[in-house]
Amino acid sequence: MNTRQSLALAALCLLTAVALTPTKAEESFAHTCDHVNPKLVKLFGAGGFRGLQSYGTGILVSPDGYILTVNSHILNTQDLRVHMADGTHYPAKVVAIEPELDVALLKIGDNKLKVEDLPYFDVVEAAKRPPVEPGTGVLAFSNQFQIATRDEPMSVQHGVIAAYSKLYGRIGIFEATYKGDVYVVDAITNNPGAAGGALTTRKGELLGLIGKELRNELTNTWINYAIPINARITVTQADGKEATVSILDIVEKKEQYKPLTPNKKNEGPGVYTGIILVADPVERTPPYIEDVVPGSPADKAKLRPDDLIVYIDGVLVGDIHTFHEVLSRYHPNQTVKLEIQRDRKLQTVTLTLEKPKPKKPAAKK
Amino acid sequence: MKRFPYFVVLVVSLVPAALRADDLDELQEQTIKAAVRKIAPCVVQIETQGGTELVSAGPRLPGAPPGIRLGAGPTTGLIVHADGYVISSAFNFANKPQSILVAVPGHKERYVAEIIANDQTRMLTLLRLIGVHGKLPLPVAVPKSEIRIGQTALAVGRTLAGPDRPMPSVSVGIISALNRIWGKAIQTDAKVSPTNYGGPLIDLYGRVLGVLVPASPRAEGETAGFEWYDSGIGFAIPLEDINRVLPKMLKGAAKEVVTLKRGLLGITLQQKQGQDEYSTPVIIATVSPASAAEKRGLKPGDIIKQIDGKPINNQAQLRQVLGPKYEGETIALTIQRGKEEIKATVQLEGAVASYPQPFLGILPMRDDPEPGVEVRYVYPNSPADKAGIRAGDRIMKIGHEVPPAPLRLQPIAGRDQMMDLLDAAVPGLELAFEVKRGENQKTETLKIKLVEMPDVVPSKTQLPEKSSVKKALTKPKGVGPQPPGAPNKEAKKENDKKAETGFLKRTTAAADHTYWIYVPENYDPNIAHAVLVWLHPPGKNKEKDFDNFWQSWQFPCEDYHIILVCPKAESERGSWTQSEAEFVQEAVRAVSDSYTVDRRRIIAHGMDQGGEMAFALGFRSRGLFRGVATTGAALASNPRDKVANQPLSFFLIVGDKDPLRDVVKETKTKLIERKYPVIYREIKDLGRQYIDGRLGIDTLEELARWIDSLDRL
Repeated sequence: MNTRQSLALAALCLLTAVALTPTKAEESFAHTCDHVNPKLVKLFGAGGFRGLQSYGTGILVSPDGYILTVNSHILNTQDLRVHMADGTHYPAKVVAIEPELDVALLKIGDNKLKVEDLPYFDVVEAAKRPPVEPGTGVLAFSNQFQIATRDEPMSVQHGVIAAYSKLYGRIGIFEATYKGDVYVVDAITNNPGAAGGALTTRKGELLGLIGKELRNELTNTWINYAIPINARITVTQADGKEATVSILDIVEKKEQYKPLTPNKKNEGPGVYTGIILVADPVERTPPYIEDVVPGSPADKAKLRPDDLIVYIDGVLVGDIHTFHEVLSRYHPNQTVKLEIQRDRKLQTVTLTLEKPKPKKPAAKK
Repeated sequence: MKRFPYFVVLVVSLVPAALRADDLDELQEQTIKAAVRKIAPCVVQIETQGGTELVSAGPRLPGAPPGIRLGAGPTTGLIVHADGYVISSAFNFANKPQSILVAVPGHKERYVAEIIANDQTRMLTLLRLIGVHGKLPLPVAVPKSEIRIGQTALAVGRTLAGPDRPMPSVSVGIISALNRIWGKAIQTDAKVSPTNYGGPLIDLYGRVLGVLVPASPRAEGETAGFEWYDSGIGFAIPLEDINRVLPKMLKGAAKEVVTLKRGLLGITLQQKQGQDEYSTPVIIATVSPASAAEKRGLKPGDIIKQIDGKPINNQAQLRQVLGPKYEGETIALTIQRGKEEIKATVQLEGAVASYPQPFLGILPMRDDPEPGVEVRYVYPNSPADKAGIRAGDRIMKIGHEVPPAPLRLQPIAGRDQMMDLLDAAVPGLELAFEVKRGENQKTETLKIKLVEMPDVVPSKTQLPEKSSVKKALTKPKGVGPQPPGAPNKEAKKENDKKAETGFLKRTTAAADHTYWIYVPENYDPNIAHAVLVWLHPPGKNKEKDFDNFWQSWQFPCEDYHIILVCPKAESERGSWTQSEAEFVQEAVRAVSDSYTVDRRRIIAHGMDQGGEMAFALGFRSRGLFRGVATTGAALASNPRDKVANQPLSFFLIVGDKDPLRDVVKETKTKLIERKYPVIYREIKDLGRQYIDGRLGIDTLEELARWIDSLDRL
């Protein structure tokens, strides 16, 4: 080969490379999809009446048939069935449910019906990755609207992470049990049957489980979100002790997993502040202070009539109802940071809570 | 060695090709993140305390709470002035919060903020943060001339990601269109919702294209367009336009909020049946007194040909050109009057001065062919009462004395002419009335000063049977032409004495819509009947619902001669859509053609979302409706201005425990501000349990008397 020939070949190579670029870009998604689709399963269970769908999505998390999905009504049956990516189908049983995370672990196959060497998502690996930022490109895989059956592939949507949002610190935000961080997705992913599907990076790395259809009480709009695979939340149990629950824990413990019994009411014994709020005639009356009981914690903190309580330990108390709800979680002798609006400025005061007074109901009017 | 370069070439050319596949996605992702990071310091989070629970909105699904339940969560704003001024969407303050708190990225303390200005044309609100030290970072605006359809656009918000988060929330899209919402907004397919209303729409350099707002080309108000959230149709007001009016807005203060209003000409346009605004030429129908148009001498019949050198061929073009204009801005008009072409410069005004309806204090006798107007009833303590006018007197002539000219009295042909004459007057004006009275028919001239129309309904002792002399089909004997609006008097009706009565099902000419009518059994073509159009609440659109409805109205209909028209909303959920207004009007016209109908007493009555439809119809079809009665419904947007010669009265009913009560009360205030006569009734101990549209017998009776008295003078 002489120089001219090799130059011509080089030019040809370059041309091919340039021509290939757009095809390659598309192929990068195609490759991911080929790779991810076999790790997803279609679930069929209870439902099919009163607008409740009887289908859902799940992801394989082990080679021997453990499936992670979102806890929902469809699991409420003896006849739970799983369709694999290749069209084979199995009966499935529920291994563990974690209500605080709103997830469930299922299992297909047993001694009689062996399953092995299935493609799966490595949850241990996935849980180690730090959360991705807003703007990160993502793919969402699910059997929304039951479009796919048997060996048909999942519906894939693409979008970006809109937000990684900490929602639990607020009051009455979610009707859902899960109150931890979520990925909010900039695509309409949370449709009937999508719950339990996979949210992955462009390269197919698992980020989270697509959640249920839910209205976000912050904005009163439908929200598209996924529960992060590294979700980990602290739960106060019935005995008052705190414990951590995580998806990783469930996937690792499998049959041995015991869900916690949290203190659902989350209510303390009641506290006394000495704050007397204005009357509450409408639903959204802001917590203005009407009066302060002399010698009370509020008095010691120099709270005054007409102060408007805005935040309790950083939580916005939009109205009187929320004020009482937030305070009910505290215990006597705890200190609480109040931010109040006085003379058009926010000021911070610290209050040491006391035991409720025996005769008068605490802090209520 | 000979092969070496060949090998190098292969590596060099193939490796980038393989990388480039992911590079492309990676590059886009990095660019997006960099742009969001760049704008992040200028995007603030806004939290509010207090305010109303519900905000009235347009059409919605049955079962959904009445009005929009605004989220209690934080919203978004954009810094527009380094000294602590933030622009946001008016939507975020639609519930009138008592307290506003703003968190600025990088600032430890939140700031208390106050509203200092509102832009009513673009639904924006300017906040001043109190106690900001130092300078806040400012965004860079993309010049409007650089914005291109198809370019990438990112919608950024702080609802989901507070200032403690390094990155606000982001939705990726492109610019879908320019000059939307009558030339005021740019359109994007990025997801726009309460999550980012008030936040910026940015380009890939982190520069601001506009501020995100809910908007709708068909409605006005803070919440208009909310129903399109996350739909791929979102709007933003260009920051360049905001910056242009910012100096004006900055002059506001909490106690003196600056309000930027739409610039108005003060005209209404001639509407032609069967033509929409894209095909109707711009011919002036009415000119409001003391309006911008009147000051420059515009007259009914004038045709607008050009504005600022741009040709205007139809009414939509006029809206497109006038839409973005503010109060005080000047436009150059070219008008055709007959064969003459007139050029005029007009300074637009923020409000068309509304005059309250003048009131003499009588009900006229109807269906009376004799000359003059017989007095049927005198309102106690009204000017007529004080001047000694009594029921049975006959007003023959009316005049207005303008010294030094001698008083000239004009004979009146009948009720309709007298209504039109009085409607052109204003309260406080003194008119002379020639009255024929007593057994000997003595004539007397009384000078009476008109007052504002009060919010009273004639008392129960009112005489329904004597309300008409039952000669509606006889040609009036009075002088002068009959004004439009007189009862239809086709010979057909006279022959057709046995018109169908009772509860009847009807379909439109195109057979695409159904409606029911109820004609009282005592129907007499010689009596002009009032028409009550019932706009049912969502879901109550079955035949049995209408059957229930007419039965509760049967006796008032017989006593007060009212025909019911019950159109059916065809949407799946039985709620009204704006486009059904045409069909409702068609139904009313069809009824007017086959029965003797009093054009001065056609009213739209609706409940819940049907009530919102009633408001919309009343304002839209001024030529048709003279009254709007609603139950448990509030205006979704600001009321339209009064129109000369097309009076409109309101009757608002709400339960005192209805969560919408405050909003309905505000509707009353808004209507009174615009000088509409309003009756407002609260039903004790009632929430939203208005049963099937049936009201308590007292309220229903009063509503019927109100309908009967709509031709009050």
